[in-house]
Amino acid sequence: MVIQLEINGELRQIELTRADADGQYRASIDSGTALDIAAQMLRPGVLSLQIEGKSYRCVLEESPEGTAIHLAGRRLLYRVDDPRSLKSRRKRHGGAEGPKPVTAPMPGRVVRVLANVGDSVEAHQGIVVIEAMKMQNELKSPKAGRVVQLRVEPGGTVAAGDVLAVVE
Amino acid sequence: MSKTQKRISKILIANRGEIALRILRACRELSIGTVAVYSDADRAALHVLEADEAYRLGPAPATESYLRGDLILEVARRTGAEAIHPGYGFLSENANFAEACASAGVTFIGPPASAMRALGSKTRARQAADAAGMPRTPGSVKGLASLEEAYAVAEEIGYPVMLKAAAGGGGKGMRAVFSQADLSAAFSAAASEAERAFGSGEVYLEKLIERPRHIEIQVLADEHGNCVSLGERECSVQRRHQKVIEEAPSAVVDEDLRKRMGEAAVRLAKSAGYTNAGTVEFLVDENRNFYFLEMNTRLQVEHPVTELVTGLDLVHLQIRIAQGEPLPFRQEDIHLRGHAIECRVYAEDPDNGFFPSPGKITRLLQPGGPGIREDSGVYEGWVVPLEYDPMLSKLIAFAPTRDAAIARLLRALDEYVIGGIRSNLGLFRRILSDADFKAARIDTGYLDRLLAGNGTTAENADYSAGAALIAAALFESMRSPNGTTSDQNSTKSEMSNWKQTARREGLRAW
Repeated sequence: MVIQLEINGELRQIELTRADADGQYRASIDSGTALDIAAQMLRPGVLSLQIEGKSYRCVLEESPEGTAIHLAGRRLLYRVDDPRSLKSRRKRHGGAEGPKPVTAPMPGRVVRVLANVGDSVEAHQGIVVIEAMKMQNELKSPKAGRVVQLRVEPGGTVAAGDVLAVVE
Repeated sequence: MSKTQKRISKILIANRGEIALRILRACRELSIGTVAVYSDADRAALHVLEADEAYRLGPAPATESYLRGDLILEVARRTGAEAIHPGYGFLSENANFAEACASAGVTFIGPPASAMRALGSKTRARQAADAAGMPRTPGSVKGLASLEEAYAVAEEIGYPVMLKAAAGGGGKGMRAVFSQADLSAAFSAAASEAERAFGSGEVYLEKLIERPRHIEIQVLADEHGNCVSLGERECSVQRRHQKVIEEAPSAVVDEDLRKRMGEAAVRLAKSAGYTNAGTVEFLVDENRNFYFLEMNTRLQVEHPVTELVTGLDLVHLQIRIAQGEPLPFRQEDIHLRGHAIECRVYAEDPDNGFFPSPGKITRLLQPGGPGIREDSGVYEGWVVPLEYDPMLSKLIAFAPTRDAAIARLLRALDEYVIGGIRSNLGLFRRILSDADFKAARIDTGYLDRLLAGNGTTAENADYSAGAALIAAALFESMRSPNGTTSDQNSTKSEMSNWKQTARREGLRAW
């Protein structure tokens, strides 16, 4: 099977073949040399991987921003690239066109709303201030344009990934 | 305070997180009963689960729970706790609370209210420093009455100068002023920020020390007039005036400087009638002149590095001092050995403007092995609340030399996995691998300069990227429903698919 992944902003292709023994595979990256792989799931989301004898412990993490692999103290965010999926296409062709959301990168409480619906804003202009863990953070406009929606009020709580405002 | 010895058999811990657990462990070791208090956000917190008894204070905001001294004293009364340990933050430096404890007949594990008041405001502490004959930065020892006075003081000591809030902390109400033209605006900005943050607009002016190191001295004083210093901690690696990495000893403090700083710190503590554990903070300039900054009248976050190099347990000693016992050693018995470095592990995202990252810890793999100590307040499955500071744990390495301690910390960081929320583990890897940090070329501006430079904390991401790719492919192959192709988009399939596919792939979860 062939899997395309976007990792660190690069598109890579991995070909995986199951070998006869349990947990044994052959893998090649970007059509390179085939490598001997031994994989063992230690518990859900924790994988022991041996690549040509080199041993790695890999931990899978699902988070609001996507899926990541923790490996040797590093965290790498990846995305399965599916050429037919709308999400992938949008990501590829996304520019400054169309409405753009201001989303909360973390859960928190809305302290201040710095713009009104109908306001013209610059790119990176502050739109909403949210507070979490004793720190206030200003969430900025993703583009220059007009605020067409504001979905929060001071005092309200927001979850990670919530759309707080839309700029068009 | 009474000089007679009294045995404490139960302690109420008026705090949360790693420090509550740290105190609880000391109590266990001394066969002292423990009472935890908690807010609604902390019902399942580790300190609540581990204590002998636990009582709810109120809703999540600290003003309705951990800062409610009246409720905390009520719990102490109800449970028969003879003493309260305040930890750091919250009520730990609140003289009114210390006084309320005393009148309720409960021992406050810390200095008397009078010593807190004498050292609590920065201007009063500067007066105390003068009385104790300690070097301090040139400047005013009282709040500035007017802008005219500010101009006069600045002229006298020379620019650049710092404006600071007397009641300040954490960098609030603080402004660096480099020329006369900027003083007026900075004065009103600092005063109004101080008024908002601390309810007092009192600001004073001092000479700005260029590229200072932040070096502090740990002291311990008993109720019998004995006071010792336990060496220094270097806390120059800071971001927005918050310490990020602390170490002991400092690479620039030799035996002579340590002795002079230690003696100055002890003089100040004695002159203020100080008892229990405290920390005297100094700035040290490039010529190794030291200047008194302030005194923290509590146990510090970074106390473990002192414990490791002195071999002492500061919380045990705090409790013994509170019981009226004399210090079990004298200054000449204190010897430093080895090197310790501490990382403050925070739920924040260093790759994204250090945004806080509360939420559920879905995966936690903690490091161990020789010379590694972790003071943690979290566990896998715990939801880190958004109401409190973002500290998850403190990772501390101890080794014979500074180089060995750095290598040991890097090794431990590679073992450490925190999943589900973002953490600053990557930031530590970057600092500890940096040539300037390794050479101890650090000052309080060091981290800002490092962060302003090129590269993110993910700069070594290509390291074992091939393995990450193969791991990702394996994880993905196991979650796609028929395990054949990537055409079925599967990025958000249910985790329950996991077990089925794991079976099919012969990758059982053990």
